[in-house]
Amino acid sequence: MFENLRMAFSSIAANKLRSLLTMLGIIIGISAVITITTLGTTLRATIKNTLNSLGSNLMVVYIQQKNADNYYDTVEIETTDNDLMNMAMIDEFLEKYPDEFSMANENPIGSATIVNSRNKTVKMNIIGGYEGTLAFNSYKLLFGRNLSSSDIKLKKHTCVVSDIFVEQYFKEKEEPVGYNLKITLDNGIVQDFTIVGVYKYNSLSNGMGDRAKMSTPVYIPDTVANNLKGIYGEQYFFNVYFAYNVKYDANLLKAHLTEFFNQKYDANKNFGVEVVSMEDQLKQIDMVINIVTLVITVIAAISLIVGGVGVMNIMLVSVTERTREIGIRKALGAKKRSIKRQFVTEAIIICLIGGVIGIVIGILNGELAGVIADHFVASSPEYADILGDITVVPSIGAIVVSIIFSTLTGVFFGYYPASKAAKMNPIDALRYD
Amino acid sequence: MAKKIIEMSNIIKRYYIGMPNELQILNGISIEIHEGEFVAIVGASGSGKSTLMNIIGALDKPTEGSYFLNGTDINKLSDKELSAIRNKEIGFVFQTFNLIPRTTALKNVELPMLYAGVSRRERTRKAVKLLEMVDMQDRSTHKPNELSGGQKQRVAIARAMANDPSIILADEPTGALDSKTGRLVMDIFHKLHKQEGKTIVLITHSPELAEETERIITISDGSVISDVAKPENSAVNLAKKREGVDGQ
Repeated sequence: MFENLRMAFSSIAANKLRSLLTMLGIIIGISAVITITTLGTTLRATIKNTLNSLGSNLMVVYIQQKNADNYYDTVEIETTDNDLMNMAMIDEFLEKYPDEFSMANENPIGSATIVNSRNKTVKMNIIGGYEGTLAFNSYKLLFGRNLSSSDIKLKKHTCVVSDIFVEQYFKEKEEPVGYNLKITLDNGIVQDFTIVGVYKYNSLSNGMGDRAKMSTPVYIPDTVANNLKGIYGEQYFFNVYFAYNVKYDANLLKAHLTEFFNQKYDANKNFGVEVVSMEDQLKQIDMVINIVTLVITVIAAISLIVGGVGVMNIMLVSVTERTREIGIRKALGAKKRSIKRQFVTEAIIICLIGGVIGIVIGILNGELAGVIADHFVASSPEYADILGDITVVPSIGAIVVSIIFSTLTGVFFGYYPASKAAKMNPIDALRYD
Repeated sequence: MAKKIIEMSNIIKRYYIGMPNELQILNGISIEIHEGEFVAIVGASGSGKSTLMNIIGALDKPTEGSYFLNGTDINKLSDKELSAIRNKEIGFVFQTFNLIPRTTALKNVELPMLYAGVSRRERTRKAVKLLEMVDMQDRSTHKPNELSGGQKQRVAIARAMANDPSIILADEPTGALDSKTGRLVMDIFHKLHKQEGKTIVLITHSPELAEETERIITISDGSVISDVAKPENSAVNLAKKREGVDGQ
């Protein structure tokens, strides 16, 4: 075996350019697969990260027109307030499942400022929220409490601020919980809010910004937020976000959620609800990535076949060129099996070298795409917050499969030339010039 | 009487059997060669000596007649068994050397042992010894294209000896060499014959080379036309002669 490998390498080294050209088909095929699978796994990992940071324990209920399966044939109907979800519905649901679900809608109001005791202006983003909003963002409460349902119902001017805001606004050892903030909204109106809790701000781009200058979210009851926006009276929702308790089975919770809201819409002729969980989204993205991977794999397989035919062609040439050598080997006592093995080994080595080069190129392509994506993300902060650092992850499975497939290509397309060599008549082969 | 190494009786070889251009190359050749003999098979080109050599070398089977090589009936062997016979019983030396290109002298000598399944360590040990025997130890890492014709032929002889074959079958071994290096190669054959007691079959068209051997078999038109022993060249007599010279 060792001798076969040595002979294969010396024969390939003797025809470097020819061997490289022969490998080209294999290289292209394998590098395509590795590039795509690397991008696929990276994309999947990045999206998963992003969704996790948004809270993978999230379900969305949204209103959808009934019998709207065929987009083109459906006449769009305008929703009225009666078609939307209202607070009474949501409260009823949350009373039924108090431990399982909490409402997590977010309602951004805009930026606001406050001047601290050192006369520095601290910026913040005011966001109307609910009990589940912190969980929805994967933020952890450090002190005090979350926004409560009574805060929301009674429209209390309470707020939950970030640890970064505390650093920016307060002096050391000052107690933030219970403190009354006088916040200036971007329309100039000043509002009082009492801090009830502090959460730990974490973003994927943590460490990228200057902590002293960062603008972090301040959560206030959504009812108060609506009033600030000038909306009074009953609230209607097109989408309702629920953070769910991961103690429970997600599929069961989804079934509960679907059942509850379906009942509410049984009587509605035009509209129903659809429930989507982040996990479902992830599955859908996975499916798209898998389809793309499959298509590229098929194309790569064709390239591999073309490459394999190239290998076969060159092996036939090699066998003819080395007819005399084969004759000598047979005269010296080589059995058919030994000759066959020698040439199959050579074909496998050609394919394997091609495969390894392809894998390296594929990984480099992936890294290159990663660098470009990182550059793009770094130049647009709004994406940096969502996407964070992109880490390129080559797919180990694809690499293993590539190596196996290039070996098999070598065996398959090397076999015929090798058996042709093995069947040669030693006398004729020795006489060959 | 020494053991019979080659025992051929009534060997006939035909080509294109059953076709209009059927050709009979060997017309019933019977030869016996004993252990330790140095035999020349002489004949003009077209006489059938190459065909005979192929049959002796187990590269080809006769159409008719029987051939026993060291007691084995060659006609009854499969392709695989013929490979094993060539590997173990026969050491080929060709006119055009036929070393494997891009492979060092040492690896070339090791090759028959590789096919015989000898361990790597033992192969290298023996190959080094054989290269010393033909005085090529300094060139063991050289590849054939870095060697002169005479050097190549010496490596080829070392390779022929690798598995201690019953016979060395040399086909015009000096045909591609100048007279000086040709002489050197012939001297190696004489050394193998006398010191190692090797059975050597030398196929040649040159009467001068044939004269150096113990026995000359002449082939013409596919038949043996003469088989002459030259006792003055026998290993035993030569040894006696040398003793006589040394004694004076």
